[in-house]
Amino acid sequence: MPVEERLFSLVLALLASEHGLTKSEILSTVQGYRQRFAISGDNSNLERQFERDKDDIRELGVPLEMIEVGADTGTNQNVRYRIPRGDYELPGDISFSPEETTLLNLAAMVWREGSLSGESRRAMLKLRSLGVTSDDPVIGYAPRLRVREAAFEPLNSALERHVLVRFEYLKPGELSARVRTVAPIALIQHQGRWMLHGEDQDAAGTRNFLLRRIVSAVTTTSKRYEPFPPEATATALRELDEIWQQRTAIVEVEPDSDAATRLHKRRGTTVLPDGTLQLHYSDANIFADEIAGFGPEAVVRSPQPLRDAVRDRLIRTAADHG
Amino acid sequence: MASRKKPVLMAQDKLAFLLSLVPYLMDHDRVSVAEVATHFGMTPEQIREAVRLIGVSGIPGETQSYQHEDLFDISWDDLEENDQIVLTHRVAIDDSPRFSAREAAALIAGLQYLSALPENSDRTAIATLMAKLSRGASGAPNQVAVESTESDATLGLIRQSVTTGVQIEFDYRGARGKTERRHVDPLRVESMDADWYLRGWDHLRGAVRTFRLDRISNPAITSEPIAFAAKDVSLPEMLFEGSKSDLLVTIEVEASAASLLADYVTEGAVTTHANGRVRTTIRVSHYHGLKRLLASMPGVATVIEPPEARRAVAEWAEAGAARYR
Repeated sequence: MPVEERLFSLVLALLASEHGLTKSEILSTVQGYRQRFAISGDNSNLERQFERDKDDIRELGVPLEMIEVGADTGTNQNVRYRIPRGDYELPGDISFSPEETTLLNLAAMVWREGSLSGESRRAMLKLRSLGVTSDDPVIGYAPRLRVREAAFEPLNSALERHVLVRFEYLKPGELSARVRTVAPIALIQHQGRWMLHGEDQDAAGTRNFLLRRIVSAVTTTSKRYEPFPPEATATALRELDEIWQQRTAIVEVEPDSDAATRLHKRRGTTVLPDGTLQLHYSDANIFADEIAGFGPEAVVRSPQPLRDAVRDRLIRTAADHG
Repeated sequence: MASRKKPVLMAQDKLAFLLSLVPYLMDHDRVSVAEVATHFGMTPEQIREAVRLIGVSGIPGETQSYQHEDLFDISWDDLEENDQIVLTHRVAIDDSPRFSAREAAALIAGLQYLSALPENSDRTAIATLMAKLSRGASGAPNQVAVESTESDATLGLIRQSVTTGVQIEFDYRGARGKTERRHVDPLRVESMDADWYLRGWDHLRGAVRTFRLDRISNPAITSEPIAFAAKDVSLPEMLFEGSKSDLLVTIEVEASAASLLADYVTEGAVTTHANGRVRTTIRVSHYHGLKRLLASMPGVATVIEPPEARRAVAEWAEAGAARYR
């Protein structure tokens, strides 16, 4: 029997049962289990199978609940499993227009590679369940957001389970990595970089950690933390934007060069009366890398530390290739 | 819309599909396998397989023995003879399932990422849509956020060009440094993280070309009708395709940064690891692009050979450094 048949039968049985089913009822009666159930014998393999199936089903967003009934709690006999209909079904007043469906199709397409591709694929199946046909956008779009950092997946999973994580972090400008213990608040993509916004348990405050500077594997602990309110993410984004607003550099660009075209089009760029550009940036190290790529086409006038950083980078690259 | 491979489904995907298909069939008294396949983006055989499974599934029921009335039923003749689906009896399921917290989070972050699209310019409508996703999820969506950007004016013009069927023109500076006025029939807008591209029929070159949006300046709508629409041209799935004239370059890169160059690595390249660095072969169309790329990864990546490539990078960086003396 295919795996999905067993999973489907389990969901149907638990949805239909108002008061829930005990584990032994499930194993002895539900399709896919009952065929392998031994009435008087060892069912430990089947029980382990049931545990894995429960996890698989919950991962799809199906609220598979465990309820304890009776005074003698803690024993298997009194534990019942069920899927409450109200928490399972999409609320009746939620519908999506064809325009919204088109936008959601595009939003799902963004993740077609990498960690969230399974989630977006399944979300689309559920959306199509509603039967709305999307309008094709007038022009084809193929947006793509890739998460290259291995840390993303364990962090996202810790974020979902509200457990502390531990990793080695190489702070920009420091020579050696330090172990951080963090309560994840949000995964944020800002200025093209993924970062973890979280509460640093040793520094007692929120910090942003660039995912590409996490130099070890992420260890997920079993220590839970109190979930942060959703506004915390908006606040973090706003703070990042404020930093970006505050940090400016004056850059001279070679007229009619690639640097001139692209830096002019960068978000927030202003052209000063003398023709130089005022640019905003979030992270001096990342910005210095970007400007260094333009070689002789772009020269930082100020601030001095950024000017030095770009010069040192160019000297380093020249030396490495000399 | 780009043509895409039909998905290979895992057991979890298949379960999500079964739970989604049932409510859809409940709303359609009679529907062809072909129509369902198109709607769900699957093959007709995947649909038939799922419908056959639904047709024999159900609940244990009062007798705990899956009696006829405890099972779904379909019109088997219609399925086998007419390739039509008619659900005649249903159990347990009344409605579509909720999104999982992670699914809702993925869609919300995707919408944020697409905020530059002209289709997304109605911010109130987007906020409403995101709120519906949150409310339609089985748990609070994971906090995954993407910085939103302003609507891009060039994207607006590209859309206008397609809607009105006239060419768009713009100044384009290639990586080699030459600027030309290009006349283009837009075919598809693509993105790769923070970078956006237009793929279109380039009347100057008489071929399909890819343009970086941030290298486009002075865009304008022309009065010339387009020669090709998206449906006339089959675009390769890959944004960057190798060409026979590509140059091969051996590089050494910090292992932690190797993924940044993954797009350039040649197929079947021999990759060796030593002292935390990776040595591999990448392909580039010319050294103008290579020198910019390498200069933006100082100390992280180094060209090993050929010597001309090393020299191109060195000269570029030296010329840059000279401007600080």
